Amino acid sequence: MGSIALHDVTKRFDNGQEALRNVSLTFDEGSMAFLTGHSGAGKSTFLKLLLLLQLPTQGQIVVNGVNISQLPRRRIPRYRQHLGAVFQDHHLLSDRTVLENVALPLVVTSMRARDIATRARAALSMVGLLAKERLYPSHLSAGEQQRVGIARAVVNRPNLLLADEPTGNLDPALSREVMGLFVNFRRIGATVIVATHDQHLIETMGVRVIELDSGRVIRDEAPGA
Amino acid sequence: MMGGDRDPWPPVQRPRFAWIRDHWRVSRDCFTLACRRLWSSLLVWLLIGISLALPAALYLLQRNLAAAAGQWDGRPSFTVYLQTGIEIGVAEGIADRLDAQPEVERAWVITPQQALAEFSEGLTITDALEVLGENPLPASVRATVADGVSEGELQRFIAEQSAAEGVDEVVLEKAWLERMAAISDFVGRVGWILAAVFGLGAALVTASSVRLVIESRLEELSVQKLVGGTDAFVRRPFLYFGLFYGVGGGMVAAMLVAGSLVALEAPLVTLFDSYKERLTIEGMGGPLVGALLGVGGLLGLFGALIATNRRLKQVELA
Ligand SMILES: Nc1ncnc2c1ncn2[C@@H]1O[C@H](COP(=O)(O)OP(=O)(O)OP(=O)(O)O)[C@@H](O)[C@H]1O
Ligand SMILES: [Mg+2]
Repeated sequence: MGSIALHDVTKRFDNGQEALRNVSLTFDEGSMAFLTGHSGAGKSTFLKLLLLLQLPTQGQIVVNGVNISQLPRRRIPRYRQHLGAVFQDHHLLSDRTVLENVALPLVVTSMRARDIATRARAALSMVGLLAKERLYPSHLSAGEQQRVGIARAVVNRPNLLLADEPTGNLDPALSREVMGLFVNFRRIGATVIVATHDQHLIETMGVRVIELDSGRVIRDEAPGA
Repeated sequence: MMGGDRDPWPPVQRPRFAWIRDHWRVSRDCFTLACRRLWSSLLVWLLIGISLALPAALYLLQRNLAAAAGQWDGRPSFTVYLQTGIEIGVAEGIADRLDAQPEVERAWVITPQQALAEFSEGLTITDALEVLGENPLPASVRATVADGVSEGELQRFIAEQSAAEGVDEVVLEKAWLERMAAISDFVGRVGWILAAVFGLGAALVTASSVRLVIESRLEELSVQKLVGGTDAFVRRPFLYFGLFYGVGGGMVAAMLVAGSLVALEAPLVTLFDSYKERLTIEGMGGPLVGALLGVGGLLGLFGALIATNRRLKQVELA
């Protein structure tokens, strides 16, 4: 569960800006890839297409054998319930505690409150923030907020994990830890795609690297290649 | 699609009574949020309450008018006008004779003085006498018809009485009943029109109030959708808000109408008493209160549904 294929995908915005141009890529189930490229290259757009936050102008995106652009509206929530996403701008709710924020993807599935709390705490402890579960996001440092976002992305044990600059505010040690977390998810079968600028991570993690430039794929290197 | 045998994104296992828990959680959330916005909540209640109170009051008025008309309708009265110059004793004899008839519930004499007083209603008696010279009105006998007398029987009975000695004419007093029925019909229609107009108003008031609540929780709305919240899930708290506003508005309406009734009861009773009829005024029964709460709740839900549907579509693709 978690194979992805893009066939000749183009995303053009209303103002004529092309964020992705004729992108064709495949991701095997349980694989991990970095998405890199300069600012404005189209990394976030790529992830938003997979989240169905945007629709491609042209081409097909096939996830688990299903062309997701043609998913009926009422099926989208369930599709997203099996995803985990870390956003560049966190998207944490300021009036909910850290624990409540992390629990949200489980709450929308109407899980039992006790199970929700258990799993949300487990996710928080993975990012080392269990002690801060009662705080509000505004009381956390930028890096801590980012880790709350990461905990929320993995709390539902997604089979597709999408992360947009998840380590942007983290120091090298924490960055490696978070990446270790992602690698673990990949080991249990999730497909993981991480957009990042972090050259050091890209060079040292030994995973596939896809580089975008003005919406085109200019590099796609498998580890060890 | 990948062969129909396996759903690539199976529904997350939901416990059997999950919906009870969901609704409980949401209603608690709404309650706290509404308390936090207490003043605007009160204002919304008042606005909806007023919109609902007017049609409800008219409905009550119409019911009472119809009941009054109905009560008289079943027991019309007629007046036996006697020829001029008939002695009062003869009139009393006729009244006694009528009283003994099974068709008559009660008969009594209207003396020329009483007739004059009725005639000059709105004028003083001396004014009337100035117009008429001396009192030209003969005595008459008024009678109310017993229960269960059919229209045909009554017509026959009145024809008989018209032929009796000393009788000038027998007049069935129905004109004002017809007027009463017409008024009650009119009030009823005005009530329906107002109910439609003000009901729409109440729905719009809730819609815009719920819109405000939505605007203040837009971030939450989009994050919930982001992590896979269904439309129903995202919409639920706002529907509760609509319900809460609507039912509260219905409650305010019930209080407004009940208050007006208390203020109006005394003059109404006096009015009905003047017609020598015992009338019970229909007040705020349980059904009416229930209907107000129900209609208020439905309008609130409807308004919230309008507001959320519009917004949900807009946040669909970020
Ligand atoms: N909604 C939009 N309307 C118009 N243009 C857009 C929109 N969203 C993104 N773009 C444009 O698409 C291009 C790609 O944007 P995107 O956010 O995918 O870049 P990115 O690779 O994530 O950059 P960064 O590293 O800065 O996050 C940019 O030139 C941007 O201006
Ligand atoms: Mg970006």
